[in-house]
Amino acid sequence: MQGILLSNVTKEFTGVQNSKTCALKDISLHIKPGEFVGIAGKNGSGKTTLARLLNGLLLPSAGKVTVNGMDTRARRHIREIRRLVAMVFQNPDNQLVSPVIEEEVAFGPENLNLPEDEIEHRVEKVLQIVGLSELRQMSPHMLSGGQKQRVAIAAALAMQPDYLVLDEPTSMLDQSGRQMILEYLQILNKQQGLTIILISHNMEDLTGADRLILLQEGSILCDAPPWEAFNRGEKHLDLKPPGIVLLAQMLRKRGYLLDKRITTLEQMENSICRLLRSTT
Amino acid sequence: MKMMKRTKLGRYIPGTSIIHQLDPRTKLLGWLAMVTAILVSYSWPVLLLNTALIFVVIYLAQTSLSSVMRGVKWLWLVFICSFLAQCICTQGAPLFNLGPLTVTVEGVYRGLSTFLRLLILFLSSTILTMTTSPMKLARGLEALLAPLARLGVPVNQFAMLITISLRFIPTLLEEAETITRAQKSRGAPFTSPKKLVRLKTSLAVLIPLVVGSLQRATDLATAMESRCYSGGPHHSRTRKLRFYRCDLAALCVSIAVSILPLICIYGLDLPVQSLQGLR
Repeated sequence: MQGILLSNVTKEFTGVQNSKTCALKDISLHIKPGEFVGIAGKNGSGKTTLARLLNGLLLPSAGKVTVNGMDTRARRHIREIRRLVAMVFQNPDNQLVSPVIEEEVAFGPENLNLPEDEIEHRVEKVLQIVGLSELRQMSPHMLSGGQKQRVAIAAALAMQPDYLVLDEPTSMLDQSGRQMILEYLQILNKQQGLTIILISHNMEDLTGADRLILLQEGSILCDAPPWEAFNRGEKHLDLKPPGIVLLAQMLRKRGYLLDKRITTLEQMENSICRLLRSTT
Repeated sequence: MKMMKRTKLGRYIPGTSIIHQLDPRTKLLGWLAMVTAILVSYSWPVLLLNTALIFVVIYLAQTSLSSVMRGVKWLWLVFICSFLAQCICTQGAPLFNLGPLTVTVEGVYRGLSTFLRLLILFLSSTILTMTTSPMKLARGLEALLAPLARLGVPVNQFAMLITISLRFIPTLLEEAETITRAQKSRGAPFTSPKKLVRLKTSLAVLIPLVVGSLQRATDLATAMESRCYSGGPHHSRTRKLRFYRCDLAALCVSIAVSILPLICIYGLDLPVQSLQGLR
């Protein structure tokens, strides 16, 4: 079966004095190829645990995780699973291995034992995708946070994955770096057909998702299109919806009949134009 | 970039000179030959030939002598102290008396040769790191040590270790600076006249730095694992080392100057004699 499938997954951690904390409780989920899935929740809701289950960095205490039909618990599949499900982490400084960018990008393909010219080809291609071709000889510490995170994305893409999991990739970036990363993710999803799983506690990051999963204390609170999830998140988790959604809510309260599904600036523009046209 | 200024001694300076372009393996082997020669032999021809060679290399590397010597003021102190100590403490024919101390002819020779040896040791190491990027140096070392992998020496892991250290030195320097500034802003007495206070203050920087590094290490391990790293060898590298004709020439020169005189002087039972010489 294509896609990532979680069936009745529970994950427990053993803490001090054998006390058990349950990070995820009985989660079932199917992520289909080509989707852009957002995952949100408060601190300690199990977002990171969920992400790490997807490529076998963590194994479920109960239940099963399969990637394109391969169980993450089977050791013989783990290499292929990690190739298929690439990960980008929160801190751009702590995930880069090499002092030279092109070697950083080549690190994954090298571990896959690919031939030299194939590696060179991939390095060139992915650096072009993230727009860092001219900086390939530079050292990561000379880059801005946003550029470092783009290197991390390029390094993940060099493995030619089917799924890209990003665990709060924007939380340590400034506004422009954040914006740029989100734009690249949209391009990768829409143009290259890459499945994106984006984890964030900032709802503004997730407006572009096809589907938004809210986690609450290790359980799925809702799995719905963003506009619906934003409302639920505000009501149950006190997560502040994106500004544009708040604006739509305010305008609706004032009696303007705006579409419920507005989550982006573009949709807002269209909706207002339609409204204005119908009143004149 | 400002923190890079601190690490002046032997810092890599990019360039296009013939020495810069040599294969790192050539430079490492040349350095090894020279260091072996001067450590094994006290004889004047060997020392003078190597001294001449190192100055030719400095000239070819297009780095000014003053930039090589800069930042090594304290080293001169070591040079001079060792020279003086050798002059005085060696037994032999007296040259002249300084109060109760006797300076001997053998002592002056010994002192001079020690001085030259230290100088060559220092200059050759400095010029090696100044003309070779750390990354290339690590590559060269890995390539040279590769045969040891057959004996079960974890050469690949060792190379990875060097690579990661090189990657994180600037990051840690940056972090140390941030912590220092944070402590300063809370009134930490970094410039206190009391040594003990200063020591305690620097501990307050060191501890968060170490704790932070452990966190970084955990994160990095996770990231490497998720990119299929398993500690195995990296068969293919993006930039392979290449051995050109000038490398061959350089190696020949290096052997001719550093190793051949040794063989001429001592013959083939060199190690035995040199060991006796040391006693």
